Amino acid sequence: MPRSRLWDLLTYAVLVILSAVCILPILWTLLTSLKYEADIVTREMIYWPTRITFDHYVTLWNQSNYPVLVVNSLVVTTVTVAICLVTGTVASYAFARFRFPGRMPLMMGYLVVRMFPAVMMIIPLFVVMRQVGLLDSRVGLAIAYTSFLLPLFVWMMKGFFDAAPKELESAARIDGSTRLGAMVRIVMPIARNGVLATCIFVAIAAWNEFLFALMLTTSQGSRTWPVGLQLMVGEFQLPWGMLAAGGIISILPVIVLFALIQRAMVAGIAAGAVKG
Amino acid sequence: MATLELQGIRKSFGALEVLSSVDLELEDGGFLVLLGPSGCGKSTLLSIIAGLEEASAGDILVGGRRVNEVFPKDRNIAMVFQSYALYPTMDVARNIGFGLEMRKVPGPERVEKVRAAADLLQIGHLLDRKPAQLSGGQRQRVAMGRAIVRDPDLFLFDEPLSNLDAKLRVQMRTEIKRLHDRLGTTVVYVTHDQVEAMTLGTKVAVMKEGVIQQLADPQTIYDRPANMFVAGFIGSPAMNFLDGTVETEGGPALVLTGDGQRVALDRAPAGQGARVIAGIRPEHFTLGEGSPVRLTGRIEVLEPTGPDTMVVLSVAGREITARLPPRIGLAPGAMIDLGVDRSAITFFNPETGTAL
Amino acid sequence: MIGELSETRYWMYLLLLPSLLLITAVVLYPTIYGIQMSFREMRLNRPDLGTGFVGLKHYQRMLNDPIFWLSLRNTAVWVTFAIILEFLIGLIAALALHRNLPGSRIFAVMILLPFFLPNVVAGHMWSLMLDPRLGVINDLLLKAGLIDSYRAWFADPATAMAAAILVEAWKSFPFFTLLILAGLKGIPTDLYKAASIDGAGPVAQLRLITLPMIKTIIAAAVILRVIGLVNSPDLLLVLTSGGPGRSTMVLSLFAFQTAYRDFNFGYASALSVVMFILLMIFAWIYIRLSRINQE
Repeated sequence: MPRSRLWDLLTYAVLVILSAVCILPILWTLLTSLKYEADIVTREMIYWPTRITFDHYVTLWNQSNYPVLVVNSLVVTTVTVAICLVTGTVASYAFARFRFPGRMPLMMGYLVVRMFPAVMMIIPLFVVMRQVGLLDSRVGLAIAYTSFLLPLFVWMMKGFFDAAPKELESAARIDGSTRLGAMVRIVMPIARNGVLATCIFVAIAAWNEFLFALMLTTSQGSRTWPVGLQLMVGEFQLPWGMLAAGGIISILPVIVLFALIQRAMVAGIAAGAVKG
Repeated sequence: MATLELQGIRKSFGALEVLSSVDLELEDGGFLVLLGPSGCGKSTLLSIIAGLEEASAGDILVGGRRVNEVFPKDRNIAMVFQSYALYPTMDVARNIGFGLEMRKVPGPERVEKVRAAADLLQIGHLLDRKPAQLSGGQRQRVAMGRAIVRDPDLFLFDEPLSNLDAKLRVQMRTEIKRLHDRLGTTVVYVTHDQVEAMTLGTKVAVMKEGVIQQLADPQTIYDRPANMFVAGFIGSPAMNFLDGTVETEGGPALVLTGDGQRVALDRAPAGQGARVIAGIRPEHFTLGEGSPVRLTGRIEVLEPTGPDTMVVLSVAGREITARLPPRIGLAPGAMIDLGVDRSAITFFNPETGTAL
Repeated sequence: MIGELSETRYWMYLLLLPSLLLITAVVLYPTIYGIQMSFREMRLNRPDLGTGFVGLKHYQRMLNDPIFWLSLRNTAVWVTFAIILEFLIGLIAALALHRNLPGSRIFAVMILLPFFLPNVVAGHMWSLMLDPRLGVINDLLLKAGLIDSYRAWFADPATAMAAAILVEAWKSFPFFTLLILAGLKGIPTDLYKAASIDGAGPVAQLRLITLPMIKTIIAAAVILRVIGLVNSPDLLLVLTSGGPGRSTMVLSLFAFQTAYRDFNFGYASALSVVMFILLMIFAWIYIRLSRINQE
């Protein structure tokens, strides 16, 4: 069937072009991070270097505070995920499983919160966090992140709980389990992939976040890598090679995590967004 | 094993009343079928018995004990769900044994009971499979195994057969009946399938819009339906309804509204000139001149089913179905006379729909 | 015991409690505080001015602030063109992926990836590629004969906004792909079979079946992206900081810099409150319109 063959060909053309557009900037950055500075700053563009070096990575890791930034980001990300996991899982479970007075308004509330401009939150959070001594602290930043990540977590997780049949809990309760027991023993194991996907999504968002971090951290001790990298660019005229290296290091975990759990995560985002 | 008693059960979701004052009693070892179209409240009633939903008012008594405030886990009931609700992460053995596990039954005893239940249901060879690896019929058996293993006071079935194909459904129906005969546990069984209700129940409650229309043994429900809803819901093809007026002069008779046909009766169901609706089941028609009671109609459609031929004909502007013998050699368009078994006619009040 | 508690009718409220407390603390309280702040003087670098109540001063100032009006206009341009681009590319990508040809899953990973990248890195990748001296895109365009000399894309007011929109579209079109793909999965294949039996070609099928069936999902995606585009200045902060000459200054960035650089928290709060109200009005009208269209 020549006509459908033609469409297949066209489809592949579109996919190849789009993938190239998406991936080539990342590959170019990777390539830049491996080039000698002399091969980056040239009169004639060098597309395929004849020699590569890991100097940018080594310098960035040893002679800047990048490791500290990465550790800070890890701490902030972990705490954010932990808070969302503990408070968000049970909340989304309640929304997914029960019909109770106030359910719709509360769910809409969690949705509207997503519309709040970051700036509108950041300014008062700055003042409030300063008052309670959480400004410029990693835990403080993580708590601030929950303001927009927790609603996201709840909506996404609710989709996964919705997908687990309600009768399972009824069956478990009749079998002698409490609601809590049914949730822990029956539903959580089923929703495990969903929990994982949601956590990873929140982790990526927290890891990537820039604006809150810029405003709410002021010192070495709590600054995250996006802020650190941005400040390095401004303050030290960071060479392209090192900037590229920093970028690659920072997105590596994102790419790995995304590739690993892409399908469940994509399904969860779609479910959370559509129902919202 | 226990008796079940419901007293004045009401349930409303906000302004919507789904159950209005349900009373019923079921003897120990009885098999009660809750029958009705979807949305009639039968499943809600079952959930209330199970404790999965709270009644807005009324009492539930199991074995004489009021269980309104007892959590489902402590009611000692077992339930089979329409979707089977097998725990997908556990294998068949653990699925069946989960109730025992929750009740802290020691391991060896549990294994033994699971094995016995599985053998009874002929799924002993499937114990280490996961639900996803089972066929529909096998899942159904596992769900039943999970229910019987605990030896509960009360079995609840929520449309357990409606996800099976026709052949398997008949087979499992027999199986459930056999299990009930053997175990003797009190059963409440929800279905919208009148054949299941007729074959399984020792008692059938026909429900509509949250109200029990009739509660009786299956044969009574079939022979003496309490109202037109019950009459129309039970039986396939459904009971035929004809509008008419009662005449007492010159022998009791029914004059059909529409074409004025006169159908002689053995007794008048109401006074002279009263409007009534006559309900006649398809099998109460006969072909030919043998009967003194006749109806004349024009054949619209013939539907041979093998053992019978369903004849759809138009009588007095109404469409009625008669179950006649096969190979009767009739053709659409022909006018025929049908005999009626007049002792089997049920009369209804056209205003209220209740039987006279 | 918690187990027994879970059988009571208050269980769901108990489950909701932790998150509600948290949301109250980090969203509700700050929001009210922020709205209240927009009626106050609050300059962190001018403690001498105090934090007194100044009524509508900030809002009045906004009306006469040319930067505010410029930012508003820029925001409209930024959002409109970014949305159009993201939607079109996103739709094409989704349709292509939905055909499920061999290899689609690999392509999906690559195509969806930009959405998950940090703005800071995405911004610098493109700064690198669009660099006026070392940028590979300049080189490619020059070799292709499309430009006659290297351009400073982000330093030229004529191209800065367009370049920024392209980067934004690159980063966020996968969101549309993702949602549309989910919508496409929900369309029964029988519809297409029926349509092709009725003689509808691929274009007619797209117009008569696909687009109407995913209308709601598109509407949802658009609203979410508008919110995202209006609210987050990250990418512009990295790429241009609003320059050159405020040609890429959008409202969110203006508000952020008023707080972050000028420490004028009162005015910044007023700006973000206005932004939020405009967004709510837009969302309300948009939802209204897209609902009406459905009927």
